Amino acid sequence: MTTAVDASLVRLLDSPGVTGVALVDAVTGLTYGVAGNADEAGDGAECAELAALIAERLGRAGAEGELESVIMTSTRRHQVLLAVARPVGDPLLLTAGMDRERANLALATRSLADRAAEVLA
Amino acid sequence: MTTAEARNLPALLQGLHEDGHSGTVRVSGSPGGTIHLRGGLIVAVETPGAPTATSVLLTPGRVDDETWLAACAAEPDTDRLGGYLVSAGLIGAAELEVVCTAAVFDAAFAVAIGPPGGWTLDGPEPTLHAGSGVEPRRLTEETTRRIVRLSGAWGAPGELARIRPAAVPDAGLRRGLSDRHRAVLSTVNGRRTARDMAFTLGRGLYAIMLDLTRLEAQGLIRWETGGPSEGRPSTAPRVLPARGAPDAPATNTPQAEPPAKAAPLPRRTRGGASWPGDDRTGASRPRDGQSQAVGAREGEPREALVPDGQAREGPSGQTPAEGSDALPAGTTGGHGG
Repeated sequence: MTTAVDASLVRLLDSPGVTGVALVDAVTGLTYGVAGNADEAGDGAECAELAALIAERLGRAGAEGELESVIMTSTRRHQVLLAVARPVGDPLLLTAGMDRERANLALATRSLADRAAEVLA
Repeated sequence: MTTAEARNLPALLQGLHEDGHSGTVRVSGSPGGTIHLRGGLIVAVETPGAPTATSVLLTPGRVDDETWLAACAAEPDTDRLGGYLVSAGLIGAAELEVVCTAAVFDAAFAVAIGPPGGWTLDGPEPTLHAGSGVEPRRLTEETTRRIVRLSGAWGAPGELARIRPAAVPDAGLRRGLSDRHRAVLSTVNGRRTARDMAFTLGRGLYAIMLDLTRLEAQGLIRWETGGPSEGRPSTAPRVLPARGAPDAPATNTPQAEPPAKAAPLPRRTRGGASWPGDDRTGASRPRDGQSQAVGAREGEPREALVPDGQAREGPSGQTPAEGSDALPAGTTGGHGG
């Protein structure tokens, strides 16, 4: 059954090369919705743990401010974790898998970030 | 139908899911809770152990109280309140779905880390919900994952839930902390449990406990040593032995075996004073809060709390003795510390 979250996420698959997106709770790792290939979007709990670990290490190294994104690149794929702004409540993560041959990382990430806030609309 | 012989709560919910059941499952125990099903899917779980979706919306001010009351007046049917909130533009459909789904998983976790209890089935009751609901199998798997994730040096999550952490000096001055962690630190005072903080901040219990373990790993808070001090009434959910389960192993019996058993026979004192031991329990009860609403006095049979006429369909205590079944749980990792 399609939920409101799933319906919002489907729109993000329009970006060239984006093969799967998921909306994940950045604290608990709970996956609220998936569009496209769920495996390529990544496991929610693992993505949340990874983002938390990176944020903690950055903070310990003296970085100020909140974590915005994590971008991982392999020879064939990109994996992007984007923090989603929320009026109140625990932060969310938008996780996206991209095909490196078809996606322009900079454009796709920019597009996802621009539309991340619309996901909760 | 398998509800009568369902071995445990996950099996019951799975059976109800296969039947497409709509109704309410009341789980006894501490904290216990109420599970709302629509068409076999779990749409809401309410428990004194964790904030509801309503609390999560109201406490941090996502929806202010006056607007909320006006919405409740405009749409008296709580089942349809979610749809009204969205149509009135008070919250996005996806955001409300996120809040409600998070609350379902969080409340299930809160119920699962308490000692297992029995259950009764009722008809549908109105409750705030959004989205299609959660399949029982997914809820059970996620709850199991959470229990495993929060099992550590302190023992099972049930033990962690009773800890009252204290901040180390100057913890708030540490650079590089996220706003969320600062907010948690601001509520840590050596007296609050994770549940207290969850209600204070309007966040999930599991999220708070996870943040606490991360703050502790960073050396910003320390666990209260020694647990509740002698003579101070506990406001934490108590781990009571599964009542009505004569075959249950005695290992779950908390160290505080009902004092009444060990105490001498009641003896009147001059001036008509109360029974020995009453002072302590009497003093502790009003401060125990809602988490003890179903707790009754230690040693008192919990069956007495089931209202007359409500058949206990679920055999109390017939819960997973081992394995990965999470609901009702506390079984993964055991209750021991």
